[in-house]
Amino acid sequence: MAQMTMAKALNEGLRRALEDNPKVLLMGEDIGKLGGVFRVTDGLQKDFGEDRIIDSPLAESGIVGTAVGLAIRGYRPVCEIQFDGFVYPAFDQIVSQVAKLHSRSHGVYKMAMVIRIPFGGQIGAIEHHSESPEGYFAHTAGLRVVSPTTPNDAYWMIQQAITHDDPIIFCEPKCRYWEKGEVDLDRPPRGLFDAHVAREGSDVTVVAYGPSVRTAVRAAEAASAEGRSVEVIDARSIAPLDLPPMVASVQKTGRLVVVAEAPANASVASEIVARLTEECFYSLRAPALRVTGYHTPYPPSRVEEEYLPNIDRILDAVDRVMGFES
Amino acid sequence: MSTREFLLPDVGEGLTEAEIVVWKVAVGDTIALNQPLIDIETAKATVELPSPYAGVVTKLHGEVGDVVPVGAPLIEIEVGGSDAAPPASSAESATAPQGEGRTAVLVGYGVATDEGAPTRHRRRGGAVTTPVAAPPAPPVPVTPSTNLLAPRSTPPVRLYAKQHGIDIGSIRGTGRDGLITRSDVERVVSGGTTRVASVPAAPTGVTRFVGHELAPWESGPKEERIPVRGVLRSMADAMVQSAFTAPHAAAWVRVDATKSVELLSALKARPSMANVRLSPLTLVALALCDAARHFPGINSRFDDTAGEVIVRRSVALGIAADTPRGLIVPNIKDADALDLVGMANALTTLVEKARAGTTTPNEMIGTTLTITNVGPFGIDGAMPILPPGTSAIVAVGQIAKAPWVVDDEVVVRHVVEIAMSFDHRCIDGALASSVLAHVGRFLNHPAPALLAR
Amino acid sequence: MALGFELKGESMSEIPLVQLLTPEGERVTHPEYESTLGKDEVFGMHRDMTIIRRLCNEATSLQRQGQLALWAPLQGQEAAQIGAGRALEPMDFTFPSYREHGIAWCRGIPPENWLRLFRAVDHGGWDPQQYRHSVPTIVIGNQALNAVGYAMGVQRDGAEEATMVFFGDGATSEGDVNEAFVWAGSFDAPIVFFVQNNQWAISEPTVRQSKIPLYRRAEGFGFPGIRVDGNDVLAVHEVTKRALAHAREGGGPTLIEAFTYRMGAHTTSDDPTRYRIDAEVEVWKHRDPLERVKAYLVRQHQVPASEFDATIAEADALAAKLRADVLAMDSPDPLSIFEFAYADVHPLIEEGKRDMIELGVGGGAH
Repeated sequence: MAQMTMAKALNEGLRRALEDNPKVLLMGEDIGKLGGVFRVTDGLQKDFGEDRIIDSPLAESGIVGTAVGLAIRGYRPVCEIQFDGFVYPAFDQIVSQVAKLHSRSHGVYKMAMVIRIPFGGQIGAIEHHSESPEGYFAHTAGLRVVSPTTPNDAYWMIQQAITHDDPIIFCEPKCRYWEKGEVDLDRPPRGLFDAHVAREGSDVTVVAYGPSVRTAVRAAEAASAEGRSVEVIDARSIAPLDLPPMVASVQKTGRLVVVAEAPANASVASEIVARLTEECFYSLRAPALRVTGYHTPYPPSRVEEEYLPNIDRILDAVDRVMGFES
Repeated sequence: MSTREFLLPDVGEGLTEAEIVVWKVAVGDTIALNQPLIDIETAKATVELPSPYAGVVTKLHGEVGDVVPVGAPLIEIEVGGSDAAPPASSAESATAPQGEGRTAVLVGYGVATDEGAPTRHRRRGGAVTTPVAAPPAPPVPVTPSTNLLAPRSTPPVRLYAKQHGIDIGSIRGTGRDGLITRSDVERVVSGGTTRVASVPAAPTGVTRFVGHELAPWESGPKEERIPVRGVLRSMADAMVQSAFTAPHAAAWVRVDATKSVELLSALKARPSMANVRLSPLTLVALALCDAARHFPGINSRFDDTAGEVIVRRSVALGIAADTPRGLIVPNIKDADALDLVGMANALTTLVEKARAGTTTPNEMIGTTLTITNVGPFGIDGAMPILPPGTSAIVAVGQIAKAPWVVDDEVVVRHVVEIAMSFDHRCIDGALASSVLAHVGRFLNHPAPALLAR
Repeated sequence: MALGFELKGESMSEIPLVQLLTPEGERVTHPEYESTLGKDEVFGMHRDMTIIRRLCNEATSLQRQGQLALWAPLQGQEAAQIGAGRALEPMDFTFPSYREHGIAWCRGIPPENWLRLFRAVDHGGWDPQQYRHSVPTIVIGNQALNAVGYAMGVQRDGAEEATMVFFGDGATSEGDVNEAFVWAGSFDAPIVFFVQNNQWAISEPTVRQSKIPLYRRAEGFGFPGIRVDGNDVLAVHEVTKRALAHAREGGGPTLIEAFTYRMGAHTTSDDPTRYRIDAEVEVWKHRDPLERVKAYLVRQHQVPASEFDATIAEADALAAKLRADVLAMDSPDPLSIFEFAYADVHPLIEEGKRDMIELGVGGGAH
């Protein structure tokens, strides 16, 4: 066991992956000498060399497009997109090639690659540094999308993602990079695509992922002081969703609230609601509600608190599902 | 003149704390706005911090080598002197503009630090709650996962139940996997006046037996084998144990219960009794508990193993209840402490829970006296088998109009037969008869008995 | 450690570029370019550079004091921006990235407006049509394509206006910038691509972006490219003036590579000590854009110290005003996020506004 920040846990996990398999490569802007703008790749180029830890030219499409070629050649590339808002030049390569080459080649090409993206808000940043693009990738068949929320999860999930043969969009909640937690260096807590009950409860099920999990847990604590028992589930895997624990929870509570930063319209949150409503129709005492960012571009961060799902808005949704029957 | 504090800000470099490398000012120095104050060492670099104020340095917090957390005071400066430096605006703050601590994450203002217990600030409808104004309500303990599930139904049925003021969770579903159907709710809705503390009027044909739905005579198998399990097993075992352990004897009495019937009618008509389900069983239960107070020996049990007869001075009143799964005997703890309304409500709850299958294990153990009500079936009496651990069980028959002699005249009265089986190891005929007579007197003339409590 | 250029001896004479004023402040001639600026105009540019450097330093201080989320300093690039900015005609349109504070100054945008983005109260900060200077673009290189499109519009309107777009050496790797070059060449767009090669894209040197000098990329795309000493305001001014005129007159695109240096960090979140050496920074200190102009003005035009002092005082006063303006900059009303998301009424916007109001948020002092 060791105490470390999520950024450090990712660093250690990447290090182990690089040690375990010489085919693992890292590429991205400023990941080598600088060690990454969040220091996630700190010290790796010094130990593994410039051929394996590549400082890329400034072009996201180039980073992902060349990674595709390296994967075809049998390498296991781990791409870093510097910020969520900068992934879009790479979107074409991701959707057109990364997601489809395994299928197009009848399984001959393995797109065994990881694309790491720091995502989400709550850091008081300027434009394009607080986006939630995971929905676009969850929607694209051929891709898998996951998000760790603790240092322990980060340490293990990055290694599990690198050894997995499907392309994985690895969404790292940047507002959690500096939070410390216990990391078990010997055994993973669970599988890469397993959901996790972050907090037990009996009145309402709240499903969240990424940066919203901690907000949901804090809302559950506030709800407890108001006399309500809220269960929080950390989805961990955004695509595919690990439904059984969510189903068991909603069958127990009969009430569902989904929390995410990404605006609700055609979102991952909507997918969670649709699937759980289908699976738990007879158990639902109230319609499932989504608490998300509003349908506008991410605002100037001085007002992001009011735009994002916060404790007040989550508790408001809890009020509504609990009051539905009366 | 006022003293301003400069707190260690996040400088956008992943800072949670910083080490003081060198002070560039000293106490007493007159300094200008933006004058370099200090060099701090972050994770990998040294950063110079410029002063946000012009004035005189009054205090330095920390020495070279000290590690200071972000948000902690670094320096105090007295401002507002005769300096040429332009006065700071009153809206100025040396901390992050949101006025709260922030943890740096290398980009932007940083993550807001979560201090203290999370609370709600605003509610829909405009009520602004002031956090920390009142002491928080005791937190709800987190319930560990249980196997209890939310009641299963559909939105239209839930709405139907809600419209009729019925808690859907109290209804036992007969649909697949316990689904609560519309007819389940309808049954409860139209059940209306039959939601009494007695078992509903017996149907002309019972399709349930030992907890199973029986196929009709014509269409079912000639020989049907039902495994002895669950409630059936419990009932069989208890009966065997009791019948072959305690020598059962019986006594019975016929009672003119007209005054009880009249009292119940009068009470039911009162508005204050509108939500209370009163029935003859209520009075029988009160009568039996009253008898136990006068004759405690009836509320005993014969403990062969310990070689003792144990007399209890608290009645856990068992009521035989017929449920879809079979016969169970849940009890009302401390029944002797209940008054008329209390007993009526306790009986109502007991029967509803039995029907819904939500009787708790605790309610199934510790019975000291039992009543089985065979009246609704149109039966006059029975010789029931004692539930193990008790010495007396009372069977109440139907209350029916019958000819009765009053003042040497034959008149029509409401007559009921009360029978008792008892354990003759500790209860003798005299005691049993005395108890039965007491119960009979209570039902014959209830008002004084109720008032005497 | 790779450098952005080869340090050959002490002079840059081995790298062909246009220079009219040496780092020491001596006027030199160039076969194709000549500065006709008089003393007052040159002094004016020195004043411009002094002011934007001072305002930039004030912004850095404000960030270190927690009053800005971030700041992108232009230390060392003052001549590149003032030289280019003062070459513009009023009707020309400019497309910046996020570091063109000097261009914003030249276009007359009040300094506090440039800081609204960095204070995180706004994603823009000014009316782009009023100042003919577009809102900032943070996504690297997007603005190159946008600017070419704008220039194609000018073309179709038959207007005599030039469009100039700004980006750095790092941006030249992005697909958008290369596509912009393709479009500009194919359509003879009236555009000037002003590349400030400040040698670093955060931690990556220019060699990582391009094997050959950036100005030579233009030839591959079919239009002229020229490298100028980015720290020489006279040279930058002349080269830019000619390129803009060329565009305005229908001559098509030009790529100007202003060869300069990012003296500070990429932003206040960056730590350059992790990837570059002090010796390199020292070399460029000797090429300071302000020092050489001052030296020239003192030596050639005998401008007295008092006039430079007056400039400094003016800059200090503007910095104090900027500070006061920033400290008074409040967060916007949360309801304002809905105002311009769409041009037309949208049901999800109406829903969101209602929700926010019912939750008691916004609509008043925040």
